[in-house]
This record gives sequence, C-alpha cells and structure tokens, in this order.
Amino acid sequence: MRTLLWAEHQKIRRLSFVWIAIFATVMVAVIVFLSGLTDNDGIRDIDTIGWYMAVAQPLATFFVLPAVIALLGSYMICREEQENTIDSLRLIPVNEAKLTIAKMIITLVYSILFYLLLFAITFFTEAALHFSDLSIGMVMNFSKAYFLDGICIFLAISPIIALISYMKKGYWIALVITEFYSFIGLFTSTSNTLKALYPITAVFTISGYYEASTFQVMLSCISLLFCVGLAAVTLAGMNKCK
Amino acid sequence: MLKLIQIEFLKLRRRTFVWIMMFSALIMPFLAYLLFKYAWDTGGDPVQFYKWSAFGLTLFIVLPVVLGILSTMLMYNENQYDMLKQLWIVPVSKMRYFFSKFFVVLIYSVCFMLVTAVGSVIFSILLGDIAFDWQNVLFLIRKCLEIGVITAFAMLPILAIATTQNGYILPVAITLIYAFLGSIIVSINMYIHPLSSMAVIVARNGDIPGLNNTQVISIPLAFLSIFIWGIVSVLLANVALARRK
Repeated sequence: MRTLLWAEHQKIRRLSFVWIAIFATVMVAVIVFLSGLTDNDGIRDIDTIGWYMAVAQPLATFFVLPAVIALLGSYMICREEQENTIDSLRLIPVNEAKLTIAKMIITLVYSILFYLLLFAITFFTEAALHFSDLSIGMVMNFSKAYFLDGICIFLAISPIIALISYMKKGYWIALVITEFYSFIGLFTSTSNTLKALYPITAVFTISGYYEASTFQVMLSCISLLFCVGLAAVTLAGMNKCK
Repeated sequence: MLKLIQIEFLKLRRRTFVWIMMFSALIMPFLAYLLFKYAWDTGGDPVQFYKWSAFGLTLFIVLPVVLGILSTMLMYNENQYDMLKQLWIVPVSKMRYFFSKFFVVLIYSVCFMLVTAVGSVIFSILLGDIAFDWQNVLFLIRKCLEIGVITAFAMLPILAIATTQNGYILPVAITLIYAFLGSIIVSINMYIHPLSSMAVIVARNGDIPGLNNTQVISIPLAFLSIFIWGIVSVLLANVALARRK
C-alpha cells in the first residue's frame, strides 16, 4: 500500500491538474473577497471580523471545490484506463481495489490541502485587514473547521469517486453529478433536519459552521458514514467482479 | 455551414452523456416544487415559482455549467483523436468550424431551457397552488427562450478557452469559476460579466422580481458587454485555431 501511495504521489506531482485546482481555489477566494466589497448600509462585509473566513467555506463548497476534488479523483482513476497503463499494472500484478484506495487516499489528502489553502488565503487577508481584532480562539476554530471540511467533503463525495472507478470512463459524469450534488446543498440548508442529513451540508454541521445540537451532529456523522459505506460496498463489488 | 452543424449533431448522436445531461434541466423545477410544497408559499403567484424553477439558479449556475461542459466536450473530442488535421485537409474553414460548435451549443441551450419550461409548468400544476394560465406559460416560454439564446452567447469565452486547450480540465475548472463569478458579481456590477449582463436583459422592466433591485438598468450596456466578450472570444478562438497545424 505504501508503494502504491508513493507511486500515486509521484504521478500526481507531474499533473497540471493540481495547479489548475489551486488556481480554482485562489479564484474562489478572490470572488468571495469581491463580494465582500459591497456596501450594506455603509458597512462592507469584508470589514466584519471573521466574515471572509466564514463565508468562503460554504460558497466554495456549494459551487466549486467538491466538483474539482471529484474530478481530481475520477481523473486519476480513469486516466489509467484511458492511457492503457492499467494493462501494464494488471501484468505486475497490482490489486485494483488497493490501487483505487491509494488513489482515494491521495484525493483525500489533496481535498484537505485545497481547503487549508483556502483557509490560508482567507486568514492572511483577514490578518492584513484587521490583525489586532482577530483572536487566537477564532482562528483556531476556523482552521479546525476548514480541516474538517476537507476531510468530510471527501467522505461525502467518496461514493461518486467509487462509482466512477467502477464505471472507469466517467469523469464527466463525476463532474456533473458532484456539481449538482453540492449545489443542492443550498436548498437542504433551509431545513434543520435536511441540513444535518444531506451529506454536503452535514459537513458544515460537523465542522462547526452551523450551530447544531448533539442529535444533529450525530445525524450528520451517520450520513457521512453511510457515504463511506456506500463507497466501500462499490469498491468491494469492483474487486469481486475482477 | 448547415452541413457542418448537421455533422456536429450526427457526432453527438453517439454521445449519450450529452443527452443524459439534458435531464439536469428538470433539477431546478423539481427542487422548486419541493421548496414550495414543504417550506415556502407561492401565494398563487406563478412568477414566484418560475423565478426559482427557471430564472434564478438555472440562469446563473445550472445552464452555464452544463453549456461549459458541453463546449469542452465538443472541442476535446476532436483534439483527443487528432481529428483537426483531417478537418483542415478537407478543408474546413477554421471559423466555420468554431461557429458550427457554437450553433450546437446555442441549439442545445434553447432545447435545455424549453425542457426547463416544460418541467416548470408540470411541477407548478403538481404543486396545486398555481392556476394554469396560458398567459403565464407563454411568459415563461418567452423568458426561457431569451435565456437559452443569450446564455449561449455569454458562454462564448468558455468555448474559446476550450479551443485553446488540448485537455479538458482547465476549461472545466474555468467554467465553474466563470459561473460562480457571474452569480456573485451581480451585486457588485452587472455589466462586467456576460452572465450578469444577461440577467439585466432577462429581468428588464422588472419582469423577474428580486433579480436586480439596486443597480441602474441599461439594456444597451448589457448587450455591449456580451458583444465585447463575444468578439474577444471569437478573436481568441481564431488565433488558437490558426496556430493549430
């Protein structure tokens, strides 16, 4: 497994995809910053302490980052099939389920890194704007929230990546499904029960972005565990087919 | 030109995913149905329902993302199998080639919005609150056609970017950013981005309540914005295709 992880890491280093994903993350931060420049009764949103760090999380999650992360995961998986390198790997032989798991672990790591990058941008901007007003507690809370966002978003989209690895040539499907899947979160966030149950909004219940009761947090954990279970069943099914 | 467009559609016949993507036109009508059934109340006003089912996020996110993916797929296919060389040998004019792709996007966009309109009417009837009225249906179809046509033009920059790239990842990532920027920039300046400019045109005369309450409405300026972006995109595509041997 360690060798597979090392090999996947080496492969991904050469991909321009990572730079494109970083570009997407930076652009999201810039766009959210621009939206904070609008006046609300003479006060700009961006001047409110913590606004930027708080708002960047849901906006990036509902519109851009899950789709980019799912595309990264499905691209890594489908690429082997597309460029026929999977045939060479089968000859070695490499366990395909283990290979997929290695790719998913790498996707998880990048998911966390993208969210931490977003946090770093928002934090440094907030620090540049009003450093003296930021408290250590607030910054630590946000850093924890972004870290958990990175993990939980990966868990929420893991069934889609697993499904794509099962279908092999479906990175477009991964993109479209994930985009709508995350976008529907905008609607589920209007209901207390739905936002705890729907995986994309459950992420915010767990990360602490939404104020939630213990019951809601438990519902969200169950929802994400269900996603992981679904992904595991799909991967297990794939292994059986081979 | 018509032959090129016909060929593009013949090629698309084999890509089932493009047709499956058409079903996403029903997502917003369905979500609007759920929203008004269980959370909100239309108060019998069909425009309130249509605002959510066809004019709101469909205009800013759903349709641009779908068209961005379609544009990328149209360009990527030819690059993937190195078909461009054969096309240049025929010879096919590079601009005709680009515009044939654009017309496919335009026709797809109009069809997508018509499906959204049909879905909106069906779900509004299922909701029960809204009385069926031909005048409202015609208003919905007229607005959907407007959105369908103008969005295709507003997506020209993505089609041009897809022309410049061999891969699909950058155009797709830019599509997501482009749609996101279009929806956010509405509150700052509606005339910078083609998608927000389109919103100005569609919501003119206060046709869609709540879409723009703060900024000065200038339809010529909105058209000018889309026109400038379109011209720059065509020039970019021209340069990119000329460089392709």
